[in-house]
Amino acid sequence: MMRKKFRLPDLGLVIGGSLVGLVLICGVFAPWIAPYHPNDQELLYILAPPVWADGGSAAHLFGTDSLGRDTLSRMIYGARTAMTVAAVASLGAMLLGAFFAHLAGYFGGWVDWIISRTVEVWLSFPPVVLSMLLITGLGIGIDKVILAIVLVDWTRFCRVLRSEVQVARGQDYVAFARLIGFSHLRVIMKEILPATLPMLITLLSLQMGISVVVEAILSFVAMGVPSDVPAWGQMIADARIDMYGAPWGLALPIAAIFVTVLSFNLFGDGLRRTLDPRHAANRGT
Amino acid sequence: MIIAILRILARRLLAIIPVFVVVTILVFGALRILPVDPAQMSLPPSATIEQVEAKREAMGLNRPIWEQYTIWAKGAVAGDLGESSQYRMSTAAVVLDRLPATIELVICALVFAVGVGVGGGLLVFSARDTVLETVGLVVISAVMALPDFLLALLFILVLGVLMPIFPVNGRLEPGMQVPTQTGFLLIDALLTGDFRAFFSALHYIALPVMALGLAFSPTIMRVLHASLVNTYQQSYILQARLRGLSGREILFGQALKNAMLPVVILVGTQFGGLFGGTLLVEMIFSFPGLGNLMVKAMQTSDLSVIMAISLIYCATTLLFNSLADALAYLLNPRLRNG
Repeated sequence: MMRKKFRLPDLGLVIGGSLVGLVLICGVFAPWIAPYHPNDQELLYILAPPVWADGGSAAHLFGTDSLGRDTLSRMIYGARTAMTVAAVASLGAMLLGAFFAHLAGYFGGWVDWIISRTVEVWLSFPPVVLSMLLITGLGIGIDKVILAIVLVDWTRFCRVLRSEVQVARGQDYVAFARLIGFSHLRVIMKEILPATLPMLITLLSLQMGISVVVEAILSFVAMGVPSDVPAWGQMIADARIDMYGAPWGLALPIAAIFVTVLSFNLFGDGLRRTLDPRHAANRGT
Repeated sequence: MIIAILRILARRLLAIIPVFVVVTILVFGALRILPVDPAQMSLPPSATIEQVEAKREAMGLNRPIWEQYTIWAKGAVAGDLGESSQYRMSTAAVVLDRLPATIELVICALVFAVGVGVGGGLLVFSARDTVLETVGLVVISAVMALPDFLLALLFILVLGVLMPIFPVNGRLEPGMQVPTQTGFLLIDALLTGDFRAFFSALHYIALPVMALGLAFSPTIMRVLHASLVNTYQQSYILQARLRGLSGREILFGQALKNAMLPVVILVGTQFGGLFGGTLLVEMIFSFPGLGNLMVKAMQTSDLSVIMAISLIYCATTLLFNSLADALAYLLNPRLRNG
């Protein structure tokens, strides 16, 4: 007899996950998928409409921009920039935030006081303002964008995870682990981290969506990646000038950001529903 | 009662002062690390090395950084925020000139967001256990994936270019003028009784407000919906139903008051995001407020303006956080024991 009932996987998780996977594939295999090099200019063929609009041609499926660059290729390469930033920056923010969250939540006392006050100071900056301030100081470049996102968004992880750690810290099994003489490091890594991991993974997925937006914002105001690196935000800024004549050039990169952020959000929410034992238990009955 | 409320407010406002002082130190320190010479920036490009050196001395730039900070702090307390290097006039005047536009924008956006958010949340909740609830929640999560600057661009594209209903640039019809009294265009227009200017200003502010407000509202809807679902599981709702109250009486008379609490906290803690959003939205709509000024100051390394505006953003964010905290405390008797 089969005891375990087969359960359909969470719908948001599946849809979000496959869309994220799709964008990721576009990013990783950009040179093989993209029909043109993203910076190749065809000056005789500028601001071409996409194939479904009047005057579109199959040579440039999504049309071209004001310098005659192929929009589809630039979007595919833009996925590469967006996903690089999303993955590295979110992971960095997670590591930094989780580190301080575990310190603060586990040790409490003055360690907690200092870390909590630091987070408070950080949160008094609107995130957009802080990241732009940092870029003014750091200069532009993918690595600078990543650093800025890590330095701004670690507080998101720290704030939420700290209370999770505090809950886990109060559990009997943690007290027991201390009693039998485990070191602090071992207790945190082996006893507390597994308890906070579901929340950590969920936050990571949501943060990736946020990172995509921040990268787009910074590229949009020309404070992100250098101009020879294709990025969605930069495409939007370029296309804004010609939006009366070529609205698709503006709409397509917006759609790319929207779909990517939406799929990260769906994926994150799906993860939360699937990984949270309380939620999963409710659903099972 | 009023004294008690004032005491609660005062305690929270006092608590933000040390945080704000730390913020000023951090921003000041960060801006001094930048490879920009404020003395050179504040002089015309033709200035000689001696002149720059004299200016450096006058501005105190050769002294240790903590002394520079003390000089700045003393001036700031007296209302002197230094001189803007791009406008060659007092930073305080430049910033104060733009401040009302941003405040107007952010308040309108907040009202719009709370209105749409609470309305939408109630709507989705009242359709509970039907397909419409699911549809509503899907729409909410879709809109949540559209940050304010993308919404702003979409609105420009759809309502400014494809169907030109709304203007997409500036605050007022070109050629129209309203005598400045408060700096808040909508209020000034009403004060002078110029309704044409009032509607023009309303027309111009509509898209920025919608972009900012609509980006914030799905979060409110979601939180209100979840909070109402929780509230309805409590026994006093069942009791109210047994007493024979109608669905409407239960929702508005009993449940909503308690369910609003998380919304109040959300609005307070997320206000910084809304306020920060004005930066991009103003830039996109060429709305002459702080955000536009900030972007320009960042591009020209106008340090004193960057500093002043950053501090305004931080102070406002802190203020709203503590106001929301005080309000939540006043609304929820259970928090008062702690």
